[in-house]
Amino acid sequence: MAAVAEQRNPLEEGLSFRRTPDPFALVIFGASGDLTHKKLIPAVYALALRRLLPPRFAIVGVARTEGSDDSFREDMKQAVQQHARDEFRQDVWDELAAAIHYVPTDLSDEGGENALAELLTRLDGELQLGGNRVYYCAVPPAAFPTIVEALGKRRTATGWTRLIVEKPFGQDLASAKALNAMLLEHFEENEIFRIDHYLGKETVQNMLALRFSNGIFEPIWNRQFVDHVQITVAESIGIEGRAGYYESAGAIRDIFQNHLLQLLSLTAMEPPIDFTAESVRNEKVKVLKSLRTPGSKSVVRGQYGRGFVEGEEVPAYREEQGVAADSMTETYVGAKLYVDNWRWADTPFYVRMGKRLARRETTIAIQFKRAPHPPFEETAAEGLRPNVLLVHVQPDEGVSFAIGAKVPGQGMTIRTVHMDFLYGGAFRTAMPEAYERLILDTLLGDGTLFTRADEVEEQWLLVDAIVATWTRDRPGFPNYAAGTWGPPSADDLLHRDGRSWRRH
Amino acid sequence: MSAAVGVETWTGEDVRLADVDSALARFRAATATDGAAQSLRTSVMTHIAWVPGEWADRARAALAGMAERHPSRAILLFPDPDAGVDRIDAEVTVERYAIPGVERSVCSEVVELRLLGKRAKAPASIVEPLLISDLPVFLRWRGEPPWGAQELHQLVDIVDRLIVDSTEWDDLPYPYRHLAELFERTAVSDIAWARTSRWRALLASLWPGVAGVGAIRVTGTHAQALLLQGWLRSRLGRDDIALEHVEAERLEGIEVDGEPAPFPPGDPPLPSDVLSDELDRFTRDPVYEGALLAVAQ
Repeated sequence: MAAVAEQRNPLEEGLSFRRTPDPFALVIFGASGDLTHKKLIPAVYALALRRLLPPRFAIVGVARTEGSDDSFREDMKQAVQQHARDEFRQDVWDELAAAIHYVPTDLSDEGGENALAELLTRLDGELQLGGNRVYYCAVPPAAFPTIVEALGKRRTATGWTRLIVEKPFGQDLASAKALNAMLLEHFEENEIFRIDHYLGKETVQNMLALRFSNGIFEPIWNRQFVDHVQITVAESIGIEGRAGYYESAGAIRDIFQNHLLQLLSLTAMEPPIDFTAESVRNEKVKVLKSLRTPGSKSVVRGQYGRGFVEGEEVPAYREEQGVAADSMTETYVGAKLYVDNWRWADTPFYVRMGKRLARRETTIAIQFKRAPHPPFEETAAEGLRPNVLLVHVQPDEGVSFAIGAKVPGQGMTIRTVHMDFLYGGAFRTAMPEAYERLILDTLLGDGTLFTRADEVEEQWLLVDAIVATWTRDRPGFPNYAAGTWGPPSADDLLHRDGRSWRRH
Repeated sequence: MSAAVGVETWTGEDVRLADVDSALARFRAATATDGAAQSLRTSVMTHIAWVPGEWADRARAALAGMAERHPSRAILLFPDPDAGVDRIDAEVTVERYAIPGVERSVCSEVVELRLLGKRAKAPASIVEPLLISDLPVFLRWRGEPPWGAQELHQLVDIVDRLIVDSTEWDDLPYPYRHLAELFERTAVSDIAWARTSRWRALLASLWPGVAGVGAIRVTGTHAQALLLQGWLRSRLGRDDIALEHVEAERLEGIEVDGEPAPFPPGDPPLPSDVLSDELDRFTRDPVYEGALLAVAQ
C-alpha cells in the first residue's frame, strides 16, 4: 500500500476540483462600521450561499462598541438582508450565523487584545482551524499601528496569517513608506493584502482577458496604431458626508492614486508571463516606473460649485457639511500622462476623475489612429470618427467598438456604428461583488488582485510630484458647475493637442 | 431566470429557411422603435437539439433553464418521418430580456422546426443555413440515436460536440460500442457521466485505499453504474472490478467492497445546470472515453 500511496492518484485525472480555502478565522476590526455592514458580511454571505467556504471557519467581529455574539449576529443579519445581492435564505444564514462571534474591545487598552486571543484559541481547538488567520483592518489608518503591533506580537505558532488593509495606503510617499515599514516589521509582504476594490471588478479583470486572450488586439495595442487613451472615473454623487476624509484627500488621493493608476497600469502593461501575483504585479510596477512626471500644464484640477444633477439642485463643494468655506480641496483632476517605454512613447493617456460630474461612468477608451487615406469624398465620410475600443467598467459593464459602416442606399455615405458586447447580455448571470472575489482570493492566498508595497510607493511618487506643483498656484475655485464634465481648463488640455474628451 | 420583457412569435407551415431567417431579422429590427437601439443578439453558440416527439417537454424545460448562462440560437428539431406529408413547419420565437441599468435589451432566439416526412432525412442541410458563423455548435440528441441512420451522421459531421444522456438508453452497455465509434469524429458528452462527477471526486479522495477495490455496488441508473465501473477499471488499469447495480432514478449511493462511501456535499445539480456545464467544454474527454471503452468491450 505504501508504494501505491506514493503514486499520483489516477482517479483525479479529468476531475475539476474547485479550490476551497483551508479552515480559517476571519477577524474583522471595525466590525461596527459601514464597510462591514454594506460590503464584508454580505460578501461572506454570498460565498457561503455558493458553498465557496470550507466546512470549518469562524468570523470574529471586533469593535469598541458594547455588544454580544447574539446582538452582533442580529445586526449582521439585517446587513445581509439589506445589502446582499442574493435573496435571503434562512438556512444559509443559520449556518453562517453559528460561525459569527463578537469581541467588544479596544486594542489600544492595556491587555485589550486578550479577549480576542482567548476566543481565537478556543475556536482553534473546537473547530480545528489550524491557527489560520485572516485579519481585516476595516478601520481608519490611524488605528492600523495599534492593531498591527498587537497582532504581530501574538502570531500563532501554526497555520498561516494574512492581513487585509483598506486604502488609503498613506497620504504621500513618506507616510506610505512608513506604513509599509510598519506592516513589514510584523508581516511578510506575501501576507499583506492591500485592497483596491476596483481590481475585484469583473470588467477590470476582463481588461486582461480582452488584451491577452484575443490575438487581434495585442499587435495594434501600441503607439503605431493607438492615437491616444482616455480613462474616465466619473461620479455624479458628492462627498456623501465624508468631508473629514475628503478635505485632506481630494480627488487625487481618493481616486487618482489608486483606482485610476490601476486602470492605467492594466491598460498599458506588457503581457505577463503567467497570471501569478508576482508576474502581474511586476508588469504593473514597470508601467508606473515608466510614467513621466507631468508638468504643471499637463494637470488641471477643479472643484464643483452649485449645479444640477438629474434635475435636482445640489450645493457647491464648499457648502457641503464639514467643508471649509474657503476649501482648496480638488474634486476633479484631469491630466495628460505619458508612459515612456517602447510600446507607448509619445502616446498620450488622458485621464480624468471627479465628483458631481454629469454622470456616473468609469471607462477606458482606446482611440485608434484614423484611416490613412479614406478613398471617399470628404462629405461622404464627414460623420466618421476614428475607431474606438471602449471598455465600460461601470455601469453597463462590457466592451464596445466603434467602426465605420456604409449607410444603406444610393451613393457612399459612411457613418460610425457601435458593436457592443455587454456583460449583462452575453452572460445573463449576476456578476459577483468585488469584495466576494477579493475575500475569497485572500482566503486562498492569491495576491494577484492586490497592490504590492512597491506599487503603492510608485503611485505616491507620481502623486507627490503632481501635488508639489500645486503649491505654486491657487486656482479660482469653484471652477465647474455640478452636473457638468469638469472645468473648462480640462477641455483646453485636450484642445491644445487637437483632441477632445469623449462625449456620449 | 429573469422574466422576458417581450416575446415575439412567428409560425408557418411548409416554410423555407429564408422565411425563418426573415422572421428572426424582422423581430430583432422591431425591437428598435422610435429611434431606440436594437436589442442585442449576444450568442455564444448554436445549440441544436434533436427531439423525438416524446422528449419535447423535457427538451424545452432544459433549454429554458440554460439560457441564463448560454445565450444562444437554439434550433429544436422535431422529426416526424411518418407524418404523411413532406414539409417543414416552423415556430420562431425571439425573447427580449432587460439588462439591468441599460436601456437596451438582449434577445435570445429559439427556432423550432418540425421535420415532416422526407424532410426529416437530411437535417444537416436544414440546420447549416441557420448556424451562427464562427461560434461552436452543440448537438443535444434526446433518446438513443439511431446509430446507422444518415440523419445522425450528417449532424455529427457539422457539430463540435454531441451531448447524449445514456440513462435514456436501453440494452446497455451494447449502445456504448456505437457511441465509441463517434469519438474520432466529434467530442462527446454524456449527461449520465456528468452526473457521476461529484461521486467520482469523492471516490478519488479515498485514494490510496480505493486502489485495491474489488467490487462496487451502485444505487443509481444503469448507465451511471456502468460508467463508474468503467472509470475505476480504466483509471486503475484493472479489469477485475465487479459491479452490483441497484436500480434507482438517480445516483443515490456507492459501496466500495461493502463499505458505503460518504454522501457528497451539496445538492445534486439541476438538469439545466448539468447541460450547461457540458456546454462549457470544448475538447474531447479522454477519461470519459476510457471509462466507456472499459465497459463497452
